[in-house]
Amino acid sequence: MSLQPPTSPFVPFSPNPALQPGTPSSTTPLSIAQKPPPVSSASLRYASTRRSIYDRNLNRTQRAELSKASFAFLFGEMIQYAQKRVSGIQDLEKKLNIQGYSIGQRLLELLLFREGRSAKRETRILGILQFIAQTVYRHLFNKPADGLERSHDKDDEYMLIDHEPVVNTYISVPKEISLLNCAAFVAGIIEAVLDGSLFPARVTAHSTPTDQYPGRTVYLIKFEESVLEREAMLAGGKP
Amino acid sequence: MSTTKHARIGEEVWKSRVDKVNAELVTLTYGSIVQQLCKDLEGDYTEVNKQLDKMGYNIGLRLIEDFLAKTNMGRCNGFRDTAESIAKIGFKIFLNITPTVTNWSADNKSFSLVFEENPLADFVELPDDGRAQNELWYSNILCGVLRGALEMVQMQVEAHFASDVLRGNDSTEMRVELIRIIDDELPPGDE
Amino acid sequence: MSFYFAIIGTRDNPLYTYEFGTSKSGGDGVARFREDQRSMNQFILHSSLDMVEEVQWTNRDLYLKTVDRFNNLMVSGFVTGGNIKFLLLHDQKAEDPIRQFFTEVHEAYVKTLMNPFYEVDMRIVSVVFDQRVRAAARKYL
Repeated sequence: MSLQPPTSPFVPFSPNPALQPGTPSSTTPLSIAQKPPPVSSASLRYASTRRSIYDRNLNRTQRAELSKASFAFLFGEMIQYAQKRVSGIQDLEKKLNIQGYSIGQRLLELLLFREGRSAKRETRILGILQFIAQTVYRHLFNKPADGLERSHDKDDEYMLIDHEPVVNTYISVPKEISLLNCAAFVAGIIEAVLDGSLFPARVTAHSTPTDQYPGRTVYLIKFEESVLEREAMLAGGKP
Repeated sequence: MSTTKHARIGEEVWKSRVDKVNAELVTLTYGSIVQQLCKDLEGDYTEVNKQLDKMGYNIGLRLIEDFLAKTNMGRCNGFRDTAESIAKIGFKIFLNITPTVTNWSADNKSFSLVFEENPLADFVELPDDGRAQNELWYSNILCGVLRGALEMVQMQVEAHFASDVLRGNDSTEMRVELIRIIDDELPPGDE
Repeated sequence: MSFYFAIIGTRDNPLYTYEFGTSKSGGDGVARFREDQRSMNQFILHSSLDMVEEVQWTNRDLYLKTVDRFNNLMVSGFVTGGNIKFLLLHDQKAEDPIRQFFTEVHEAYVKTLMNPFYEVDMRIVSVVFDQRVRAAARKYL
């Protein structure tokens, strides 16, 4: 076998990632001779009582609970803060979506890690949707999603249904937490799990109240075309 | 009220009257807030501390209502009693922790809360930029919460962190000082 | 035995690399790649990414075992839930020790990611993380 030069070169390490949060990795390609700089780190101090995050058990907080009010208060402040820095409702939703996204990215890794040796990555649309509706939802909200449906007329669209989004069931929720605010945040979480699992999709939240469930929310998931193509290929490869 | 009684009330309310969510959702949400602030304020950690304190203050103003409704507590019997209520009931029902009340000043007007655990800071390691460990008080929102909540019950306090394990200190300690008792006529929350 | 380990981000960007030798049977943990070989390691790993991207759709495990070969060298792969790839170049088969090594690195990676100040695809510069990887390498390989 002869060695072909790589089709796309490694992207070099960014000089100081700590100084550029939000811009992971840089963009100029690495020349072949160049070596990545050695791992270096300034000088974090560690308490003798709490050495580092690496010394903590990741499963310690798996079943830990906190007050729903604390979450609602924090979330309310997140919204208020975001409101001051945006120009319109769409901007605001985008901002909340981004904050949810960073949480979704972490949950995806954490939840799969906790499955241990039996952990399986999801490779099919239904599998990843079930993972979100069951595993992610249960972990976050103590209940599975209330429904998962495929759009009748569009192959690339699915709907995840939540009768009562968790924040809205809480009575002392500050009034600025509208249904859509909350939903945009959750949509960000869902989108991150899908993207991270290589099911790029756009997730939008829609309020669809019924008499029984005034807070009913539908997350509309629209997959990119490449996802459907791959799905068809994987389906074809199996009897 | 005796300290064991405070602890009992805290436990009872936590067990029977608090709606709960997964702790990691709260931890991650707070992390996301702090990280966003650091980004928006371009690493001006002093400003991040201020902003966190302000957010906490807003929360405190509203949280006290929830606290009083859940605990049916009346007026505290002196500042020592207040300190015990904060540690054993307030922190218990909102964060499921009970920091230790210690280091009282001779005039009984200031004390420390020492945190063995801090769910807000689970998983956190401060940026290794040579500044964050000297400048950022990651959990500063808690100072604001105390300030806001106590103001609603006529106590003006000053609260700040004196140390934090995230900075490499061996303990996490918040200092709380009673500035004055607010006259009933003055409207609270003039910030 | 010599090893070359890399963690590759979602945009094929390296997040962490570590070259080491075996610590088993009296090994001193120092890699003994020939100079010409050494300069190729990065490219061998990189070219094996294509194989990983194929295998990861038919094998749903995180640990994909050996995914590619180059002369006497093998590349073992591990793909996390968030599509971060761990690649290890090695010259002898060691399926279980490599699994254990990857599993420990995985735990350290998830801890890194849980920190709100770390973001997906950022280079991993934590000294403690580096120590963890080295310790896992010493323990299993």
